[in-house]
Amino acid sequence: MVNRLKNWLEKILEVISIALLITLAFIVVLAVVFRFFGQSLIWYDEVASVVLAWLTYYGSALAACHRGHLGFPGLFLSLPKTARAAAFITAEFVVIAFFLVIGYAGWYLLGIFGDETLVSLSWVHLSFTQSVIPVGAALFIIAEVLSIPDAWRKSMAGIDYEKEAIDQAIEEASQS
Amino acid sequence: MITALLIVGLLLLVMINVPIAVALGAVALIGMVTSRGVDSIYNAALTMFDGATNFPLLAIPLFILAGALMNTTSISRRLINLTSALIGFVRGGLAMVNVGVSMFFAEISGSAVADVAAIGSVLIPAMKNRNYSPELSAAVTSSSASIAIIIPPSIAMIIYGALSDTSIVQLFVAGIIPGILGGFSMMGLCYWYAVRYDLPREEAFSLSRLWTAFKEAGWALTLPVIILGGIFGGIVTATEGAGLAVVAALVIGGFIYREINWVHLRKAMVEGVTQTAVVMLLVATSAVLGLYLTEMQVPQHFASWMMSFTSNKFMVLALLNVMLFVVGMFLHGAAAIILIVPIVMPLVHQLGINPIQFGLIMTLNIAIGQQTPPVASVLVTSCSIAKTDIWETTKVNIPFILVLVCVLMLVTYFPPVSLTLVNLFYG
Repeated sequence: MVNRLKNWLEKILEVISIALLITLAFIVVLAVVFRFFGQSLIWYDEVASVVLAWLTYYGSALAACHRGHLGFPGLFLSLPKTARAAAFITAEFVVIAFFLVIGYAGWYLLGIFGDETLVSLSWVHLSFTQSVIPVGAALFIIAEVLSIPDAWRKSMAGIDYEKEAIDQAIEEASQS
Repeated sequence: MITALLIVGLLLLVMINVPIAVALGAVALIGMVTSRGVDSIYNAALTMFDGATNFPLLAIPLFILAGALMNTTSISRRLINLTSALIGFVRGGLAMVNVGVSMFFAEISGSAVADVAAIGSVLIPAMKNRNYSPELSAAVTSSSASIAIIIPPSIAMIIYGALSDTSIVQLFVAGIIPGILGGFSMMGLCYWYAVRYDLPREEAFSLSRLWTAFKEAGWALTLPVIILGGIFGGIVTATEGAGLAVVAALVIGGFIYREINWVHLRKAMVEGVTQTAVVMLLVATSAVLGLYLTEMQVPQHFASWMMSFTSNKFMVLALLNVMLFVVGMFLHGAAAIILIVPIVMPLVHQLGINPIQFGLIMTLNIAIGQQTPPVASVLVTSCSIAKTDIWETTKVNIPFILVLVCVLMLVTYFPPVSLTLVNLFYG
């Protein structure tokens, strides 16, 4: 059940993140073309930066689904099992607490922005662009929680996520 | 006192495997709340968002997307064939081919692991079949992939440039001479190994074979010409050059070679957005840490502390090199740059060190860090493909690491190596 939910979340985040990446590439290329013809797009810098921030938050939640964020697992995996279990629980608590605080602060800020808009596009409200803070934080927490069972099993078995990712990259490269 | 406690807290969090990005953000948040009160969490959330909107960093996902597109086609095979036709006739030619292809290809997708996997899975088995020892095969693949980090386009340089407010284009230009110097030195080392261990030549040189290989790889070669020519020629910015790289990779892979495999592409894009997000989350949370450190004047204190030992520029650079080397051994490249740059830049400016030159120093230390266990993802990937022990491979890899160290020393103590082209084009 948890795995199915995690797979669904992963698929949704994949679609959103890839769409954002393609949008970003499209905006940059469009800006180059328009500038080439002497018609620079005034909204290019601001909008592209916002899309990059969205990509950061949605992509981070996606990376959290498969525990892809950079860490230092060497020492953690060499701990005795009981200490490793305690470290695992503490680490999960820190991650979830951090995003709870950021998510709450982001949610509070949305109310403060009121009718403020982007400088270059007056019809795009800041409360919309910055909504990614609470939404992204919530998605990160959900991804973290849904991936706990798998992460727990691997941590207790002493499996290194990084080594696993390397093996997968080699396998994919050999197939293609 | 609070800052010292936070540094200890950061180390503890990283040691219990909290993602480095979250550890940076968490200690910064605690520091801000302790010194400024609970209301500073709103400032932290805003700073984290602003940190992720750093405009020059837009180039990262675009270069990664271009790399993902290239990785799904047979560009790597075509480049291997071309380089093989060019230098394969020399004794130990296959090892040199490995260095040559890495110089062109590695680091472009932002995932050194994926790039080394793409090149290594073809070349390491081929080298083993031609009587190269598995350790040497892994060492050449690994260290040549790391020299590529200073050859443009380089994700590490983009991150450094964005965080230190340094021209990314000038960093790219500065990397050309040290990159070529390092690459050719490694090729020379391969030749020395080949003579010593009587390693074979590949096929004899043939103009017709070279022409066939060139025709096959010709379009792939236009990619760097379009991208770097556009950037260095001042026609486009680094970000726009990255956008052009996407279009060029799409046109060449999809319409000319007709090889884009959509299943692989989807996987590569997922990998690409993940890589981007991992780096960008680090940038975002480090912005919060940067805000806290600036409020506490930590970079200024660090500068004064270093200057209390010595105010000699070259001695300070030596100390910074040692520090970067140690950090590089334990942290991944992006994390090391993101953590160190905001702290050391005031010192760099105070001593009158050129930030472009320091960018090269930083990037070369990252390259060496990729080769030095315990955290050495590039070396681990090569060893996994070659099925060799990391420590045994490291013994063979030491001369190649020394090449990287020599290039680092040249860049550190002989600035013209990195700055001549910059002064020539932008002076």
